[in-house]
Amino acid sequence: MTSQEKLCRFEEQISPHLKSAYNLARWLTRSHEDAEDIVQEAFLRAFSAIESFRGENAKPWLLTIVRNTSMTWLKRNRSARATIAFEEVLEDPAESSPDPEEILMISCDGEQVRRALEQLPLDFREAVVLREMEGLSYKDISIATGVPLGTVMSRLSRGREWLRRILSTPQPVKPQEGAS
Amino acid sequence: MNCDDSRIYLPAYLDDELDVAESLRVQKHLADCGNCRQAQDQQLALRSALRDPDMYARPSADFSKRIEAAVRRAAKEEARSHRSAWFDSLRLGSLGWVPVAAVLVVMATIGAFLVMNGGRSSHQELIASAVLAGHIRSLQPGHLIDVPSSDRHTVKPWFQGRLDFSPPVPDLSELGWTLIGGRLDYVDAQPVAAIVYQRRMHNINVFLWPDRGSADDTIRQQDAQGYQILHWNGAEMTYWVVSDLNNAELLEFAQALRGH
Repeated sequence: MTSQEKLCRFEEQISPHLKSAYNLARWLTRSHEDAEDIVQEAFLRAFSAIESFRGENAKPWLLTIVRNTSMTWLKRNRSARATIAFEEVLEDPAESSPDPEEILMISCDGEQVRRALEQLPLDFREAVVLREMEGLSYKDISIATGVPLGTVMSRLSRGREWLRRILSTPQPVKPQEGAS
Repeated sequence: MNCDDSRIYLPAYLDDELDVAESLRVQKHLADCGNCRQAQDQQLALRSALRDPDMYARPSADFSKRIEAAVRRAAKEEARSHRSAWFDSLRLGSLGWVPVAAVLVVMATIGAFLVMNGGRSSHQELIASAVLAGHIRSLQPGHLIDVPSSDRHTVKPWFQGRLDFSPPVPDLSELGWTLIGGRLDYVDAQPVAAIVYQRRMHNINVFLWPDRGSADDTIRQQDAQGYQILHWNGAEMTYWVVSDLNNAELLEFAQALRGH
């Protein structure tokens, strides 16, 4: 493949996913500057590897590279901004109330949702972003993150549960009439 | 299906990752169970909060352009480093990439030479590749000349104390070759003089150093992928001339220089 052919293929199939690449890197690093650097590095890597892309599904292919570049980056720059490692996962937030009569409402406040997702431990955050924002299938997430399908499912489910609890606000239910 | 099973299957159900039979079982349970429906509503509320367009981090338009340019640059550099006629795209007007790529290009040049010559790496060929590399290096902004002057009486003395020989710097302006300066370079494991002439925006590098080994003053010409390299031996000096100027004119230049 000549460089020109590689470029054509790249611009046709990979470049359209720049938004996804940036979004993923941004959520993984929680930093605009880091995300830009990572995407640039990942795009150059993707360009030189384009011949190994078999044309199946470009987005997961690119996001795998972005994800791996981000992880290398995070390891290299482990500092004050260091992410929470999987082992030291924060204690699960407690259920807001044991009262089964209460309906838990999910907060719709954008700022709150953003902060909750940013606080989510890295492995969970990664799974949630790939699923909810990028719409990857479990199988694609499993390939991109290099963990078995079962792990993907458990990370997604624990991540969502974590978010649900953080974002839940108890709403008192009106006492039912006629209850005695 | 009971509630425990339903809660386990619910996320995959909502993610559309269950097969039809399992989906139907979850559906049926949800129809019958208010608690699980509530759990479903919460999952859906969380989903729509996460999928809110405001949550999505978007790159700036400026960044997108930068990335596109970076990839194109990478493609270009790759094309250049291949054995195709990559020299053709090298023009004085577009040297923005040169500082970054210079080292690569110089290495690729030497490599290309060795490949082109089928591995015959005679001394002369190594020198040819070195002067070509020197020529390309000189085209980087600020690298062409150490002493900018069209006056041979300024250029020639400048080499005193810098070289242990005094290079001839003839004035060829009457013949249409403008002297623009000189600099030190390093070829064949020694410091050499590089005199730079110009005709119409084409730079000509003349590399010379003392060599009494041969008095063969035949001008030998070789074409290195778009560049011309001429070589001959003078009475005391050996000369190497490199330029992107056309064949005929460069030969004319070499003859004028040799005649002085």
